[in-house]
Amino acid sequence: MATSGKIIEVKDLKKYYNRGAIKALDGVTVDINKGDVAVVIGPSGSGKSTFLRSLNLLEDPTAGSILFEGVDITKKKYTKAEDSTGRTVTVKVDVDQHRQKMGMVFQHFNLFPHMTILDNMTLAPVKVKGMSKKEAEEKALALLDRVGLKDRAGAYPIQLSGGQKQRVAIVRALAMEPDVMLFDEPTSALDPEMVGEVLDVMKGLAKEGMTMVVVTHEMGFAREVGNRVLFMDGGKLLEEGSPTDIFEHPKHPRLQDFLSKVL
Amino acid sequence: MIKIENFPRILPFLQMFKEGIGVTVLLSLCTVLIGFALALVLAVMRMSNFRPFLMLAHAFPKVFGFFERDKEGLKLDSGFLYHMGRFNPFSFLATAYVEIIRSTPVLVQIWIIYYGVFNAIKLPAFKLFGFIAFNRFLPGAVTLGINSAAYLCEIIRSGMQSVDGGQTEAARSLGLKQLQNLRYIIMPQALKNILPAIANEFVTIIKESAIVWTIGVADIMAAVNAVKGATYIIMEPLIVAAGIYFCLCFPTSKLIAYAERRMRRGDVR
Ligand SMILES: Nc1ncnc2c1ncn2[C@@H]1O[C@H](COP(=O)(O)OP(=O)(O)OP(=O)(O)O)[C@@H](O)[C@H]1O
Ligand SMILES: [Mg+2]
Repeated sequence: MATSGKIIEVKDLKKYYNRGAIKALDGVTVDINKGDVAVVIGPSGSGKSTFLRSLNLLEDPTAGSILFEGVDITKKKYTKAEDSTGRTVTVKVDVDQHRQKMGMVFQHFNLFPHMTILDNMTLAPVKVKGMSKKEAEEKALALLDRVGLKDRAGAYPIQLSGGQKQRVAIVRALAMEPDVMLFDEPTSALDPEMVGEVLDVMKGLAKEGMTMVVVTHEMGFAREVGNRVLFMDGGKLLEEGSPTDIFEHPKHPRLQDFLSKVL
Repeated sequence: MIKIENFPRILPFLQMFKEGIGVTVLLSLCTVLIGFALALVLAVMRMSNFRPFLMLAHAFPKVFGFFERDKEGLKLDSGFLYHMGRFNPFSFLATAYVEIIRSTPVLVQIWIIYYGVFNAIKLPAFKLFGFIAFNRFLPGAVTLGINSAAYLCEIIRSGMQSVDGGQTEAARSLGLKQLQNLRYIIMPQALKNILPAIANEFVTIIKESAIVWTIGVADIMAAVNAVKGATYIIMEPLIVAAGIYFCLCFPTSKLIAYAERRMRRGDVR
C-alpha cells in the first residue's frame, strides 16, 4: 500500500445538506496513522458523527476525498493509487470491500434482534468473507470469551444488558478482522454503571495496537487512552493535538469554552 | 322473499357447491403463492439501488459527471439532474405496476387477461382433479395473483421500511451487500411485522376470488348461478354462498390472529 504509517487520509471533506444551507462538514483534513487512538470531541451538532460515518461511507460526502490504505474510496468506480513499488496504478473501488476493513460500533448497538449472539457474529464472516461456519463460530466464541460473554452465545440480544450488547457489538465488528475500528458515542446510551465495562474493552483494544477513531463525551477516556484528540465545531476541525495539549493547553477560544462546560 | 321451503331445492346442486368450495380454496392458495412471489420481486425492485445515470457518471465522470456533481465539483442533493441521477428503472417499473393495478378495477383486469392475454396463449382444456377447468382456472389465479401482488408489495415495502435504519447501517458496515442486507437482516424482521396485514390480504383474496365466476370458473358463485338458472330462486343460494364464504374467511382470520399472538409471545424472552 501507499505511504508509511497513514491508514486514512481525509482531504478537505465536506458534507452539505439542503444545497449547502447546512454544512455538517465544512472542509475537514486529517490523517489517521496506524495504531492511533484518535478521540473526536466537540459540542452537539458539530459534525462528529457525520465525520465518522463518512469514513466508511455511511454518509456520501459532498466533496473531498478519503484515502483508505492509499485508495480513494469516495471515487465510485476507479481511482489512482500507488502500488508497493511506488508506481501509480488504476485500481477498482469496491466500497463493500473497504467497509469490511472498517469495523463500526454504534451508539444504539444495532445488533440484529432476530439472531442469536453467535449468529450476529458469524453472519458477515460467513456471507461476506466466505469463511466456513465452523471456523467462524470458533473465532466468534474466542472473541466472546475475551469480553466475558462466551456463555451467552446462544442468547438473543433482547436478553442482554446494554453493556453486554455493546460488548457484543464490538466483537461482532472485530470478527471481520478490521484494520480500523470506528466508535460513535459507544457509551452514551448506557446506564452509568455499564460504561466502565465497555470502556475497558476499548482500552484493551487500544493496548493491542488497534487503530481506533472514537467519538465520545467521555473526557476521561480521551485523556487516558487517546494519543490524539480532535476538536470539532461547526463542521470544522478546529484544533488537534495530544491529550495534554488539548486538555491542559487549549488554544482555540471555542475549545476553551467547550472544555469549561464539560470538565 | 326468503322461503325456508326453498332451501331443499338447492340440495340437488350440493355437488356443485362442494366443487365450488374446492375451486375457491385452491384458487385462493394459488393466488397467494403467485401474489407473494411476485410481490417479493416487486418490493426488492423498489428497494434496489440500481441507478444507471449515476453509474454512467461514475464510469465516465468527464462526460456524464453532471448527473452527480455541480460545476464546482460538489455533489448534488436536489434538483432535476440530482433526481435523474437517482432514477432507478426497476423501482420505476415496480411502482408503475403497483399504482396501475391499484387504480383499476379487478373486473377489468380479469377480463383483459382472460380475453386478451389468454386468448393469444391457448391453454390445454383438461380438468384438474377431475372438476377444475384448467384453461379458466389458471387465468383466474394469475389475474388475482397479479392483483394482490400490488397490495402485498405495498405491505412488504412498508414492513421493510419499518425496520430500524440502524440495522441496515450495521449490516452495510460489516460489508454485507444491499441484497444480502435485504435477505438476511431486513426481510426476516419485516415479515414478522407485516404478518397481520398479509393475513388480511389472504382473507380479501378468498372474498375477491368470487369475481372469477365472470370468466366461467366453476366456483361457489357458479353454483349459485346454476341454482338460479334451473329453479329461478336466488336469495336462498346466495345466503348459502354467503355462509360458505363466512365459514372460510372467519376461521382463517382467527387462526392467523392466533398464530400471530403466539409469535409475539415468542418475542418477549
Ligand atoms: N440528514 C440530515 N439532514 C439535514 N441535516 C443533517 C442531517 N444529518 C445531520 N445534519 C446536521 O448536520 C450537523 C452535524 O450533525 P452530526 O450528527 O454530525 O453532529 P454530532 O457532532 O454528531 O452531534 P451529537 O453530539 O449531537 O451527536 C447538525 O447540524 C445536524 O443537524
Ligand atoms: Mg453524533
